[in-house]
Amino acid sequence: MHSPVEQFTIKVLFALNLFGYDVSFTNSSLFMVLTVLASIAFLALAIRPAALIPGRMQGLAEMLYEFVADMVRSNVGNEGRPYFPVIFTLFMFVLFSNLLGLIPYSYTTTSQIVVTFALALAIFVGVTLIALVKHGFHFFSFFVPSGAPKALIPFLVVIEVISYFVRPVSLSVRLFANMLAGHTMLKVFAGLAVMIASAGGVAAAGSVLPLIAIIGLTGLEVLVAVLQAYVFTILTCMYLNDALHLH
Amino acid sequence: MRHKTLLLVVPLLMSPGLGWAAGGGDEAGGLPQLDLTTWPTQLFWLVVTFAIMYLLMSVMVTPRIRSVLEDRQQRITNDLEKARDADTKVTEMRLSYEASLEAARTEAAAKARDALSEAKATADEAEAEMATKLNQKLKTAETKLMKMRDDAMASIDEVAAEITAQTVSHLTSLKPTKAAVSKSVKDAMATRANQEAS
Repeated sequence: MHSPVEQFTIKVLFALNLFGYDVSFTNSSLFMVLTVLASIAFLALAIRPAALIPGRMQGLAEMLYEFVADMVRSNVGNEGRPYFPVIFTLFMFVLFSNLLGLIPYSYTTTSQIVVTFALALAIFVGVTLIALVKHGFHFFSFFVPSGAPKALIPFLVVIEVISYFVRPVSLSVRLFANMLAGHTMLKVFAGLAVMIASAGGVAAAGSVLPLIAIIGLTGLEVLVAVLQAYVFTILTCMYLNDALHLH
Repeated sequence: MRHKTLLLVVPLLMSPGLGWAAGGGDEAGGLPQLDLTTWPTQLFWLVVTFAIMYLLMSVMVTPRIRSVLEDRQQRITNDLEKARDADTKVTEMRLSYEASLEAARTEAAAKARDALSEAKATADEAEAEMATKLNQKLKTAETKLMKMRDDAMASIDEVAAEITAQTVSHLTSLKPTKAAVSKSVKDAMATRANQEAS
């Protein structure tokens, strides 16, 4: 019996070494490449007709674009425009990673904490740099809540600083945990179905129940995949808004 | 927006995923995600793939989608403007049509009035002409009548002289000369006229 978390194992497809570091091409790397190929190919092909009245695919591509554009506009405002391409890339990367991972026998790159944490840390550092460049020293007023009683300020500043530095952790763990939980749950039910089926006889018919559960869970996981991509992106927008406007 | 997101996020964070992650670590050698030896390759490929994807997105895909959307917006704006122009034109046309209709109506009324007065003038003229003609005829007839009366009056002296001569010859068997008779008749008539006049 396989462990339900065995699906997350990194398997080397071909070994590669760069400056003494092991950068082998793995199943995770393969699905990162597939994510890029699939998302770019989908958008490029869908928008190719450039029709005045969009067809189904073009409509979907435009919808994704407008969805993120609206998110940036309503959460960051006009100053968010230059950051739109990177936020759109982020959304598409997470969305396609999550969705591709739901295909049986595929690999979910966003179920790796190192991947989600690297993304979140890059966002955190980037957003902090933007804030420092834009506001200079004034940026540190972000940690002093306005209108708080003077006596409470040192205490509140500590809380604000901690909550600020926890951002990359919560952002990455949220996505990672959701992917991990969903895929593990699917594997647990699949294992259950196999276990019941191997019991043989009349009891084997009972394996239909976990199979039905898997169908339901898969639907739920599609929802979670889309929702987590959305949550990841909208939180990025909010952090960017904080950096540009300091509350 | 912020509150809605929090509402969505909190229950998901509390999902059994975290529990699984912690519990799963004990058996089967722990979570594969926590195997640090796999991290460099993942980081490397994440940076490479994300950078390529960002490049393609920012250079190729998003400008293309934006141009399609902007073209459509432009087209919609143009069409709306065209529709507004057409609407103004229609209003203008209706106004000019109404104005020309009004002008035509006024003109027709004026023409009718003119025609009426002209007809009246012609009728008046014809009437006047007729009246002149009739007057002329009347005058001619009057003159003729006057002349006839004058002639008759002129011959009355002769007739009177003849009658007088005959009467005298019958009564007196005198044979007066014509000249004498007409002279005395003339005298008598003049006396009579004088008597009548006084």
